[in-house]
Amino acid sequence: MADARKGFLIDTARCIGCRSCQVACKQWNKLAADPTKNQGTFENPRDLTPNLFNRIRFVEQADDAGGVKWLFMNERCMHCGDAGCMKVCPSPGALYRTKEGIVAYNRDKCISCKYCVSACPFNVPRYGADDRVSKCNLCADRVAGGMAPACAKACPTQTIQFGNRSELIARARAAKKTLFGENDLMGLGVVYALEGKPEAYGLPEKPAIPMSIFLWKDVIKPLGILGFWGSIGAMLFHYVTVGPKKLEEENETKGGTTHE
Amino acid sequence: MSNYVERFSTRERVLHWFVTAAFITLVLSGLGLYSRLFTGYFDFFGGGANAILFHKIAGVLFFASSLLLFFSHGKEVTTFDEDDREWLAGRGGYLSRDEAHFNCGKFNPGQKMFGIFIGVATLALGLTGIFIWAPLAFPRWLVQLSLLVHGLTFVLAVMFTVIHVYLATIGNPGTLEGMLYGYVRRIWARKHHPKWYREVE
Repeated sequence: MADARKGFLIDTARCIGCRSCQVACKQWNKLAADPTKNQGTFENPRDLTPNLFNRIRFVEQADDAGGVKWLFMNERCMHCGDAGCMKVCPSPGALYRTKEGIVAYNRDKCISCKYCVSACPFNVPRYGADDRVSKCNLCADRVAGGMAPACAKACPTQTIQFGNRSELIARARAAKKTLFGENDLMGLGVVYALEGKPEAYGLPEKPAIPMSIFLWKDVIKPLGILGFWGSIGAMLFHYVTVGPKKLEEENETKGGTTHE
Repeated sequence: MSNYVERFSTRERVLHWFVTAAFITLVLSGLGLYSRLFTGYFDFFGGGANAILFHKIAGVLFFASSLLLFFSHGKEVTTFDEDDREWLAGRGGYLSRDEAHFNCGKFNPGQKMFGIFIGVATLALGLTGIFIWAPLAFPRWLVQLSLLVHGLTFVLAVMFTVIHVYLATIGNPGTLEGMLYGYVRRIWARKHHPKWYREVE
């Protein structure tokens, strides 16, 4: 995967919060508009929805002069190298990885269990009216055709850069950027160059598959299968060593066998 | 005098096998959800989405019937006396071929503990099942924890059920008929549950 892996480098310092990426994504992926209302912020919508695969998160911070400054962050599916959603998905082919390393999905195969919602380290998958999974698919169709995803194509400031993941990272490192997601979860498909701590952007400091999901899938599942066969083996072992508690047939005559 | 004494009433037997049927449906429909290794089990139900539907219906039926079964013997299986302590100390005589005699009532302590376990497991599986049923209506941490507890309790329930089936069939010949026809042989009752036998003799 390493060499063929495509990804984004999102250079937050360049972002002007124009949200062209949001609009271009909706256009290419034919996503309906979500009605929203003014909540006293330019951030809109306030969260990812089944019809919104990426969005700009507006973080308001106090600057040194006592004013307000914005941090902009493009929020979306991170296309994790070790993807929690793919770990838990019980329906083969519903979530799958393309040869470019994209975590894509096939709605027809989604069985609406919503395990991916619980397993995502970034709380990304959404379920809409059709009760099927919905998230950024990194325009897998465009990428397969050799094109850049709609958001990267539309971005006027080159905040969203698309290409070979390793090349993008090498370039950002050469420019002495602070990277997020280079190695976490076997490398995120979306690597950020941040201007501050990840927490300032609402990103986890150390992204990981939730502990309970890890215990469920990587500990209990294998041990449970072992335990099942172990208990069957133990019973067979008991049968051939100690053996059953047989009834002594000759005692039965004393108990009165004759029918009245 | 008949060779047989009544062990379980018709109502008890029907309820027991109803719980069993719901349990088996739950296991078969849930295996594909437990791991992709068992995806093939979805085919019994016509695909994963249908398996989830069956799992939900069987889950409600199991929850109700299993709790009913537990509470219809709740006092018996949660009360342990001095004879039970002796049985526990001697591991019920299951670890040796030597003939062991214990003064058991209708249920021995092993059966009581199995009954308590299934009662608790029913509550745990049912409660976590609600959160897993509608994960978007509950906090993420609660659903994540529920998936863990649901999986763990399922594994324990299956393992204890393997032991239950062994002990009620080939491990103790003559036991199964009590749950099939309702009657057991007197010699069986005297050997396994003497205190109970004296009550019903």
